[in-house]
Amino acid sequence: MKAMPELERFLLEALRAQDPGEALAGALRGEGPPLSRELRSALAHVDPDGFRIAALLVTKLRFERLLRGSSEAERLFDEDPGGFARLFKRYAHEVSPSAVLPSEEATLFDVWRARTP
Amino acid sequence: MRPLTGFVLPPDLPTLGLLEPLLSIPGYFEVTPETTWRLDDRSRLVENGFHALFREIGRAAARPFVAHGVGLSMGSTSASDVPRVRRWLSRLRRDQTLFRYLWFTDHAGLTMAGGRSLTLPLPVPMTHASVAAMRRRLASMQRIVPDVGVETTAHYFLFGPPLEEPAFYARVVAGARRWLLLDLHNVHTMSVNMGFDSWEYVSRLPLDKVIEIHVSGGVSSDGSWLPSGRSLRLDSHDDDVPDDVWRLLERVLPLCPNLRGVTLERMEGTVDVTTIPRLRRELRRIEKTIQRKAA
Repeated sequence: MKAMPELERFLLEALRAQDPGEALAGALRGEGPPLSRELRSALAHVDPDGFRIAALLVTKLRFERLLRGSSEAERLFDEDPGGFARLFKRYAHEVSPSAVLPSEEATLFDVWRARTP
Repeated sequence: MRPLTGFVLPPDLPTLGLLEPLLSIPGYFEVTPETTWRLDDRSRLVENGFHALFREIGRAAARPFVAHGVGLSMGSTSASDVPRVRRWLSRLRRDQTLFRYLWFTDHAGLTMAGGRSLTLPLPVPMTHASVAAMRRRLASMQRIVPDVGVETTAHYFLFGPPLEEPAFYARVVAGARRWLLLDLHNVHTMSVNMGFDSWEYVSRLPLDKVIEIHVSGGVSSDGSWLPSGRSLRLDSHDDDVPDDVWRLLERVLPLCPNLRGVTLERMEGTVDVTTIPRLRRELRRIEKTIQRKAA
């Protein structure tokens, strides 16, 4: 991956973390990869609840993109919403969000399912 | 010229079917360009079914289009995303010959991080570097559509005081034919969540730079979503326009001398037969408010 500005690296990791609120708090405590003083100063303004809601919405939007692009995902969701939610959680954790269009997300999902037991 | 009333065309056939009786009311249609694309088997950006369908809707109603994207990631500075943005702008150049968008806006903030899609427009620090990044992206857009702008995005967190955002936006859109899309529901949502006066925020914006206004509704998050139990307002575009947003519209219209349109937003999948009469009333209310209040 080409050099990623510090802010983008932080957002990509923290918003996809198991606990985004804790990822934010940890960064402010100086844990994890070192951050510049400028970014730590900016993060001090961040409302933890707003950050958590943003993380939820990031996941929700990816979920919706997948359902929009993949008839197979839609079928799985219709048959077993809870089971699909668990499957999606694994998928979202294991597969980096490189897709922007629904059809791209569908392709990523198909490839992942084909190689996942 | 009096501003027109606009409506967003949703990339969803059932929703479009339900909305069909309303499509003669708006004076223009708003399209999110990337919802009309797909990747072919050679990974080229090509038209999907909505591309032709939206053009036909515009042709049949004799209405022009405006473009409002989500995916250009105005505030990104990562080199990883440059190839994708180039492909998108190339595709937009071809679309412009067909849609002839009157103006082209995208959301302030970033939706891509290091070439990875976060989809939700996220805030950037209100710094010179962020202003420069968004102005570079506006310059790229302006090579395709002469009138371009950024939307006042609904952020759920910020990197500085919210009442400093208006001055940040003013720096981003400084210059000829660079505009602001003032989303009043976004301002309202942030004011509720962050505890500031929405009119104080709006009045600090460069209102002579407002080319378009968005109005919509939303719901609140479930308290169980957060460990604190707190509920936040969401910019979900899935409910009636609230009274606070109508009041903001009435107050701001006389102060926007370059306004060209007020757009009603409603998310696909949130419309049923009972929604149609309410949407019709909202579109008519926008028309009447413009007649009474526009500069």
